[in-house]
Amino acid sequence: MQNHNKFWFVLFFLFLFCFLGSIAQNKKDSVTEVTPSLNFSYLNSTDTIILTANIFVKRDAGVFAIKNAVIEFNASGDKETRDLGQAIADAEGNAILKILPSTVIPKDKNGKTNYTAIFNGKGKYLPAKESFSVKSAHITVNFSKEDSLRFILVSANYLDSKGHIKPIQKEKIIVYVPRLFNLLKIGEADLNEVGTCKVDYPGELVGDSLGNIMVIARIEENDTYGNVQGQSSISWGTPKQYYLAEKPTRQLWSPIAPVWMIVTLIIMLSGVWAHYIYAVVQLIRIKQLSKKKPNS
Amino acid sequence: MENKEIKEKLLREFAPQFEKTSPLALGWIIFLLIVIGLGVYAFITQVTKGHIVTGMRDNVVWGIYIVNFIFFMGMSYSGAIISGTLQLFRTEWRKPIIRMAEYLAIISLLIGPGYILLCIGRLDRLPYLALFGRIQSPITWDVIAISTDIFGCLIFLYLSILRDIASMRDFSELNVPAWRKKTYSILALGYSGTPEQEKILRRATDIMATMVIAIAIIVYSVLAWIFSVTLQPGWHSTIFGPYFVIAAVYSGTGVLIIAMWVFRKVYHLEQHITRKHFISMGVLMVVLAALFGYFTFSDYLTKWYGSEKNDERLIRILFSQYYWSFIFSNYIGVLVPLIVIGIPRLRTIRNITLSAFIVVVALWFNRYLIVIPTLESPYLPIQDSRPEWVNYSGTWVEYSLMAAGVALFCLLFTLASKFVPVMNVSEISDVPKTEPTDVFKAEESLL
Repeated sequence: MQNHNKFWFVLFFLFLFCFLGSIAQNKKDSVTEVTPSLNFSYLNSTDTIILTANIFVKRDAGVFAIKNAVIEFNASGDKETRDLGQAIADAEGNAILKILPSTVIPKDKNGKTNYTAIFNGKGKYLPAKESFSVKSAHITVNFSKEDSLRFILVSANYLDSKGHIKPIQKEKIIVYVPRLFNLLKIGEADLNEVGTCKVDYPGELVGDSLGNIMVIARIEENDTYGNVQGQSSISWGTPKQYYLAEKPTRQLWSPIAPVWMIVTLIIMLSGVWAHYIYAVVQLIRIKQLSKKKPNS
Repeated sequence: MENKEIKEKLLREFAPQFEKTSPLALGWIIFLLIVIGLGVYAFITQVTKGHIVTGMRDNVVWGIYIVNFIFFMGMSYSGAIISGTLQLFRTEWRKPIIRMAEYLAIISLLIGPGYILLCIGRLDRLPYLALFGRIQSPITWDVIAISTDIFGCLIFLYLSILRDIASMRDFSELNVPAWRKKTYSILALGYSGTPEQEKILRRATDIMATMVIAIAIIVYSVLAWIFSVTLQPGWHSTIFGPYFVIAAVYSGTGVLIIAMWVFRKVYHLEQHITRKHFISMGVLMVVLAALFGYFTFSDYLTKWYGSEKNDERLIRILFSQYYWSFIFSNYIGVLVPLIVIGIPRLRTIRNITLSAFIVVVALWFNRYLIVIPTLESPYLPIQDSRPEWVNYSGTWVEYSLMAAGVALFCLLFTLASKFVPVMNVSEISDVPKTEPTDVFKAEESLL
């Protein structure tokens, strides 16, 4: 008997140990102030300016975006600073503000505008700020055909401090076409003295169902102009054919199940329910037999 | 053929269970109703505030509700397999306990699917399962299987208790309200024990016993396939089907032993449920412990040895965050019954029951370790994954509803035992068939 008690005593403490260990709570991190990092980028796309600020913190465990951070944007020239608005960072920490062409942007004497993204801080996150200066630029995309050869004509210009249009010279232009997940680069060229360049249009590119294809020309990460983009559409693409099945196929993943699956299920369920019906019929027979007998 | 005197003696012995409810029993029922009431409050909280009151989030979308679903369904299928097997084998020792196995099968089957409903966020979309269900989906298979199994177990239970209901109808000394006598009369279907009726009933019961065994194995395999047909590391295992079935019967055996001990104590059934029954069930538990341990070892060895990145991460989580739960469910839960029942000196009713209790708790943790750590180590990275959502922790709502399910199980068992005898009175009072030795002896003498 004493052996039995010792055994259960030991087992009880083992069980208690396991139980306590299994419900152990993790320690919580203490709250310390952090300085977030701010990446600020600019894209001028057919005169619409898109300002993107990416706010995040770097920790030992990795990089973590700060969702819902409020980023304020402003633009300043020599004489004035204009508040452009604010945006809220999404789950990836991106706060995006679009500035319409009709918005008047201040410039300095060199024709540059200083854009600033400001995070004023909240809670444990300290304030952060990032800025850069760019000149406003514009890219135009056109097309030409010479004999059987097709070309993409790109011209780029900017506005000087007096508001005059000047060509952008000796900058690289990269030409893309948008595909399903990303942009496909189809060529690049350098702008000449008059701010134009010519890129060969490649042979076969698939467009939409009517054969229309969008061509995008970009100046990328330029110290003076930032990111500038122009685009235009032309019906030089191969029309995309969409294949429609006459009827859906029977697959594991399709709306209609494979035949073998349906047949197996019917056979199994029929077999089982046949036995159930047999049992119920036997119960009915028992009842009927009792009615046939005289009262006992 | 029944021995009327033995049957009446047994009914006289069990009559107090049906006629009276002692203060202790009443207190027990009230306690269970209070726990169920707490569960109802938790349910209302969940419905009004949403699943944010549970610990389930984007990472761990299945929590304690699914663990309890698997656990209760396992007990149900175990009850079906045990009762079906005992029915077919016709051994003498099974007679006092087969009714408890039948109750276990049906009561667990009624409670288990309730946890799925708790897990579903939008109950108003439940009909879509029938309207737009895909035959290819294991969840559709499970819905069909459980619905089929409920009918099968109900029919099997009814066939099994029919003779006892007829006995209760005919027992003139039974002092119960008129509505209960009327109920017995209706449910008895006019059964009077004639040879023809007995033959029909015996055949139907045997056929249903075979069916419930087959259905239980298939249905619990379907439940296992809901996990194993996914590519999730920890779930994508070819042995999940038989592993789940073995684990289910193992846990159900434990619950049955506990039920035997409880009813033996409460209804003073020491003369009917003896140490021999506990040892027989204990031996079954030992065999299942060995099988369960073998399947568990095989499953984890395969994962660990393959050194696949996601399997390694899961095993690391199991042996760090869930170390003691893992040790308890897969080591202590296997070794304790092996030791207690393996050593003859330790084979007492109390020890076997305590082992069974440990087995039941260990198997609950086993289901917890199958579901939650696997979801905490996802196969594909989750977008917008917040650190506070990675680890699951059950809330009071979930634990209250779990307690309510257990309380409902106990309540239904208690109420069932007060309506029909918890032991198969008719079978116990059956006269054993005489062997046809006279015929063989006559033939030998002629030769």
